[in-house]
Amino acid sequence: MTNINGKAYAMNAITPMKPWKTPILRVLFFVLGAIKPLQSGLKNLSFIHFARWVIIDRNQFPHLGPEQPQEELQYDYLIFFSNFNGTWNQYIDAFSAVLSTGLNAIWMWSEKFPGSVPVTPFKSYINQVQFDTDYYYNAYPRAATNDVKAALRVQDAFTDFAKTSQTLSPAEFEKAYLEFLVRVQADLGSTGMAPVGT
Amino acid sequence: MIDSAKTASTKIDVTDIQGFALKGYNFPYARYLLLELCHVNGARDFIGQIVHHLTTGERWDEKPVSTVNVAFTFHGLAKLGLPEPTLLSFPVEFQQGMKARGEILYDTGKNGPEHWEPVWRDNRVHVWLAVNAQTPAALEEQGALLLQIANQTGGAALLQAQDAHAIFIDGKPTTKEHFGYTDGFGNPDFKGAERDCVPGQGKLTADGKWEALATGEFLLGYADESGELPVAPIPHLLARNGTFMVYRKMHQNVATFRSFLEGQGRLYPGGKEKLASKFVGRWRDGTPVELSPDREDPALVADNNRNTNFTYGKDLNGLRCPVGAHIRRGNPRDAFGFNGELVNRRRIMRRGLTYGTYVPEGQPVRDEDEHGIIFMALNASLFRQFEFVQQQWIEYGNDLHQGNDKDLVIGNHGGRGKSVLQGAADPQNPPFICANLPNFVELRGGDYFFMPSLTALQMIASGTVDPR
Amino acid sequence: MANQSGQIYGLTILSPILEGDTLDIAHATALRWYLASLPRDHTSPFAQVSSTHFARLVVMDDVVFVGAPAIEEHLKSRYLVFETNFDGDLDTYLTRMAKEIPGFVDSVWKHCVGYPGVADPTAFGAYMKKCQIETTFFFADVNNKTVQQNLKALQLQSALSHFIGQNQGKPAAEIQKSFGVLMQHLAKAPAPLPGGKDSEKTAAEDRPYDR
Repeated sequence: MTNINGKAYAMNAITPMKPWKTPILRVLFFVLGAIKPLQSGLKNLSFIHFARWVIIDRNQFPHLGPEQPQEELQYDYLIFFSNFNGTWNQYIDAFSAVLSTGLNAIWMWSEKFPGSVPVTPFKSYINQVQFDTDYYYNAYPRAATNDVKAALRVQDAFTDFAKTSQTLSPAEFEKAYLEFLVRVQADLGSTGMAPVGT
Repeated sequence: MIDSAKTASTKIDVTDIQGFALKGYNFPYARYLLLELCHVNGARDFIGQIVHHLTTGERWDEKPVSTVNVAFTFHGLAKLGLPEPTLLSFPVEFQQGMKARGEILYDTGKNGPEHWEPVWRDNRVHVWLAVNAQTPAALEEQGALLLQIANQTGGAALLQAQDAHAIFIDGKPTTKEHFGYTDGFGNPDFKGAERDCVPGQGKLTADGKWEALATGEFLLGYADESGELPVAPIPHLLARNGTFMVYRKMHQNVATFRSFLEGQGRLYPGGKEKLASKFVGRWRDGTPVELSPDREDPALVADNNRNTNFTYGKDLNGLRCPVGAHIRRGNPRDAFGFNGELVNRRRIMRRGLTYGTYVPEGQPVRDEDEHGIIFMALNASLFRQFEFVQQQWIEYGNDLHQGNDKDLVIGNHGGRGKSVLQGAADPQNPPFICANLPNFVELRGGDYFFMPSLTALQMIASGTVDPR
Repeated sequence: MANQSGQIYGLTILSPILEGDTLDIAHATALRWYLASLPRDHTSPFAQVSSTHFARLVVMDDVVFVGAPAIEEHLKSRYLVFETNFDGDLDTYLTRMAKEIPGFVDSVWKHCVGYPGVADPTAFGAYMKKCQIETTFFFADVNNKTVQQNLKALQLQSALSHFIGQNQGKPAAEIQKSFGVLMQHLAKAPAPLPGGKDSEKTAAEDRPYDR
């Protein structure tokens, strides 16, 4: 199993839901998708590359042929996939600290969810419902999502500056270069390996 | 989210808590006796007698001439005969000890155990028995008394006496360290501690004021910032009013630092002192850069209502205080947004003291001379607080949006790595990169300790700790 | 479209895994071993299908029993979960898988029910879509850049950071000239390979403190 590739961690979690609760969650996700500010918490935490929630109704497990038995389930299932930066504990601590309302809204429909605050029972629950990744690929393992965004900002600044950089007089260049430096100065962190998982 | 206004005010029994955990004594002299325990009965005897000399957190009408405090490594607690289930209930990182956590802490290469002082290499340190004193004479007297008890009981042998003392300038003790910075600001305020809240030391409230942190961030047995009692060893009586301490002997390469600062200072338009201020986030006199980026301000330094009363919310790009400056890494305050909530559970209480002979600026000094800081920090959870800050904010920079860049002053650079000091579009205060960074600080040893309450110590001394 | 955020597509596939009483090794086990043996760097099959940002394969043995009073229930089949985040549209991606990494696709999906092989990319695509689960909610921090754009930006960021340090304090005219050289360099430099280098090779660079 490999949950980690470079700076990214692949978390998978599956939780059961009583079928009458599923439509409520679907509406909630619809609202979440439609109202952008609700996603701002996730964006501001800035440690998830990509994440998704997938609801599978109990009758929806793919059935490909007669040799495959039909599933007979009583629960619907909510599966969560995340590609995040940082350690497992760090990730969950952060969510519990600042996004607990949103987390609760999503997972309160799952059986035996203890709430995301306080954090110890929450971590206990995640331990139960997390299942491990067998193979994980990361196209830019040395870059956290912060690094990617910083690099894109630097590229924009570079493209702008490059347009006139060679046609300015040295004195003009000096001034423009300084302004360019100020524009990129917070985005020059090096990329590399992540700290070890704890 | 915990509504602070509704939480009960915390009453803590200051006579049960060791004074070192509750307050910074600010005595200029210290001796840390590092002891090995011999056998269980003698060891318990020894502790039983030491307890009578311990300094608790009770209020002083008059400061004593010296104080005594004690803490134990995991191996020390084992030597004291605590039951196995009890020992196994201690947090994993404490059981393993700091040396085993090297990968996590980036204590490798120059900071690796092969470079540590021999006393720290083999898990022989069981006891940290600390004397803090107002005068050298008081230090000697108290130290001698304690060693006498060790001898009489046959319970403990001295492995090393690590002395530390404030740097004296013009005959007066200062809070300076060997690179010339004034230290000692910004220790966290927590509920129940006797001193008044100093603005900037606690956590931010919703309306931008400062409030004391939950007691459970620093003492076991009390609610912490996440609304529960922190994970603690069992039984409760053993853990309650206790805390965990990390001890790290941080050698300072004063010659390397000074020549680095000189050299870079010549290249930096703002000059050497300004550059030095950007490394740390405080000028060397203690003026916080965030409040005063252009000059030192002695009045500001002297005013406790102001000298640590600032946030970074209006300086997210580091124009005033560089994003990766040392104090900004150690305590990012509101730099991550969310009104600082992501930082509240990552605070540590620092109690360090310098060691070695101070060499004034301009006089010849060598890296290999004995000088540095005995860094000690207290927290309810080594893993969640000290280890996290060390791993994620000091030796790494993702949360600060600085990628893999490390803390310039104390990072384990190995000759590579860089730090970006943000500035303005002002030729006198431009952005500046320091690259090919050497190790200005090297780790020479240390470990994790448990600092029990007085009650717990009595239980340990009388062998009455039962497993649950 | 819930499967999409900006120009990133989030594909979730659950392929039922074959069971069989007569096997020495269950399909799920063999599949696990195969996945464990695959490289995860620039020689990964997903580096080949280079529009892939992040991809994972998970052998899901069962649902989770969270404890009483919840009901204990079990899946009758095991499922291969394939979760991937890539640039562009689904059909193109599936076709690329069939055409560019057929050996890998065969080695994985031969363990799954109803797998038609990759000889006919259309049939393969249809099979995969039968196993597709609609994403209910998709979050993408950066959803408007391709893998190659990200990699190029990272390359530029690193080169520029180095350049700035090297040229600090030099006369303006000199920096200007060097900057021109940097611009040309970067314009010509090939995009870095997706998937990163073997971690062994970068050990010295990343752990300078080990010297």
